[in-house]
Amino acid sequence: MRRLTALLAGISLATGLGAGAVSAADDEVIVGAAIALSSILAPYDDAPFKGAQLAIDDINAKGGVLGKKIKVVTADTKSDPAQGANAAIAVIEQGAELVLVTCDFDFGSPAAITAQGKGKIAFSLCAGDPKFGVQGIGDLAFTMGNGTPNEGATLAEWAAKRGWKKAFILKDVQVEYTKSVADYFKGRWLDGLGEVAGEDTVNGQTDTQVPGQISSIKAAKDAEFILFPGGPGGPPIIRQIRAAGIDLPILMPNSLDGNYWIEAVPDLSNAFVLTMGSIYGDDPDPAVQAVMDKFKAKFGAPPVTSYVLSGYAIIEAWAKAVERAGTFDGQKVAAELEKFKDEPLVAGLTTFTDEWHINLNRPMLVIEIQNGKHKALERTRVEKVPEVKF
Amino acid sequence: MTAFLQVLADAASQGSLYALSALGIGLIFGIMRLVNFAHGEFIMIGAYMLMLSAAPYVPLAILATLAAVILLALLTERIAFRPVRRANPTTLLVTSFAVSFFLQYLFVLIEGARPKGFDFLSSLAEPFVIGEVRVPKLNIVTIGITLVLLAALAFFLKRTHFGIQMRAAALNFRMARLLGVKANRIIAVAFAMSGVLAAVVSVLYVAARGELSPVMGLQLALVGFVSTVIGGMGSLLGAVVGGFLVGALTVALQASLPLELRPFREAFVFAIVIVVLLARPRGLFRGREARERV
Repeated sequence: MRRLTALLAGISLATGLGAGAVSAADDEVIVGAAIALSSILAPYDDAPFKGAQLAIDDINAKGGVLGKKIKVVTADTKSDPAQGANAAIAVIEQGAELVLVTCDFDFGSPAAITAQGKGKIAFSLCAGDPKFGVQGIGDLAFTMGNGTPNEGATLAEWAAKRGWKKAFILKDVQVEYTKSVADYFKGRWLDGLGEVAGEDTVNGQTDTQVPGQISSIKAAKDAEFILFPGGPGGPPIIRQIRAAGIDLPILMPNSLDGNYWIEAVPDLSNAFVLTMGSIYGDDPDPAVQAVMDKFKAKFGAPPVTSYVLSGYAIIEAWAKAVERAGTFDGQKVAAELEKFKDEPLVAGLTTFTDEWHINLNRPMLVIEIQNGKHKALERTRVEKVPEVKF
Repeated sequence: MTAFLQVLADAASQGSLYALSALGIGLIFGIMRLVNFAHGEFIMIGAYMLMLSAAPYVPLAILATLAAVILLALLTERIAFRPVRRANPTTLLVTSFAVSFFLQYLFVLIEGARPKGFDFLSSLAEPFVIGEVRVPKLNIVTIGITLVLLAALAFFLKRTHFGIQMRAAALNFRMARLLGVKANRIIAVAFAMSGVLAAVVSVLYVAARGELSPVMGLQLALVGFVSTVIGGMGSLLGAVVGGFLVGALTVALQASLPLELRPFREAFVFAIVIVVLLARPRGLFRGREARERV
């Protein structure tokens, strides 16, 4: 036993020394991105990571954090959860004090668990599953994404504000996120806001065509709108719904933000997406618009989705917490993050508590799509946050 | 009654693309015992080709897509499958997975993993309404094309020189070669034909969904394979019937399962497939070569 302890001590000493040997120069602090830089998830991590880089430029231009310039190191998870831990170790060994992880609980948590084990803050770029935090990973894991309870309930309350009473819920069962938004929507909707005129499920990944679902929407004759929390494979479903002559308003969460898919339904009208902000140059919040303008200046084109804001906000949030804590120490920075109450960040007013490391009541921007054109409508904030269930 | 007819129409809609995919996979299996999982990637690459060439003139784009996918199928056969043709079926299967992954990730590299919207022949996606039953025009076109291709294929196999050689090769490859059938040429022709079938699916699939991604062919290849198994490996008619059957099962279960069970619909589809196979282990329509000869 003593020998084992000695061995473990030796290992930790060795890794400690190892980290020390390659750690940052004295005037630098390292932020490590253990994210998908290649393969299937790369496009989803790309926008928020670029947002983080913008924030780092801005903070460095003002003198950095605690007087140190932020430097970014990266390690590619290749969109493989199994590579997440290795990627996290790779950036932590290069001295990372903050580890950015992939925009999804299943894919981001392995890297976050590793960071937690090493005492470093892990921030998911935009995971929406409330498990991302104390309950699913640990007290050093946070996500800048909007929780699915927030998105589902905000959509329900906003639909009620429009005066709609009868919903058709088309639940995409492909991933936890899409299912969860539909469930929280339904929970909040049936809590005195309206009725469900019809329901069906769909799988955006495997349902090549959806004639059956279209028949069930047609059968729900008094439905006033369709709630469709779709993911990849969502736009073809919207195309088929519209082609079948169903013109009902369609409500969508943040996952269908962006106009990269609008070609699939080029003249789409009467559709609404809940987002962090507008990438279309008309965000009512000047701070958001400023980030979008900087993005265009640095990368040559506007961002593909508004998740760019969550990446920016992570660096903003972390830098604020570090300045308040006066140290980069993971536990102390986490304690400062947990004190955030309606902290103004570009992603919106942000609250963390010792229980929730995810945003459950942040205001979000409704974007309206008419004739294939996106337009910012209004920011709206959930009034009654549903109870989170695991 | 209307509801029943609608389910029937929906089933035909869902099944028609499955049937065409199954036909492409069944054709190659019949001749060289190869389950070509890369067929899905043929479809995917056809779709990208269609997007790249669609701008000036649609019929030209369809021709370009046909040419590109035929070329791709021929190249795949020459580079990947010919060297392992004599190997056992497992090696062939693993090779086809390798080709499939290679092509998929090649397109992730070139085109990125984010799906791309591409509006193509959207007027076809609108439905005909007969009484109260809706059938998208596209599905009528798809069913029509499936029938025409099946008939053409049957004519080719029964009446033409190449077709007869192909059937001979399917029955007994070695014997056919001894009698002077040129194996390389016959297999190349079969691949070219599966390329035609894949390209047709590319066009119809893009018209239905308006979106492209490197993984778009996976589901079609998988369902196409399952359909050929149900229909009877080696039977072309069986592949088509199998495709429609899987489509019909999917739609019927979607309409009849309780909401809580619908996310597991696929499990029910495959359970029924297993039952069919238990009852008829060689599928609904046995290929002639599969029969025991005394």
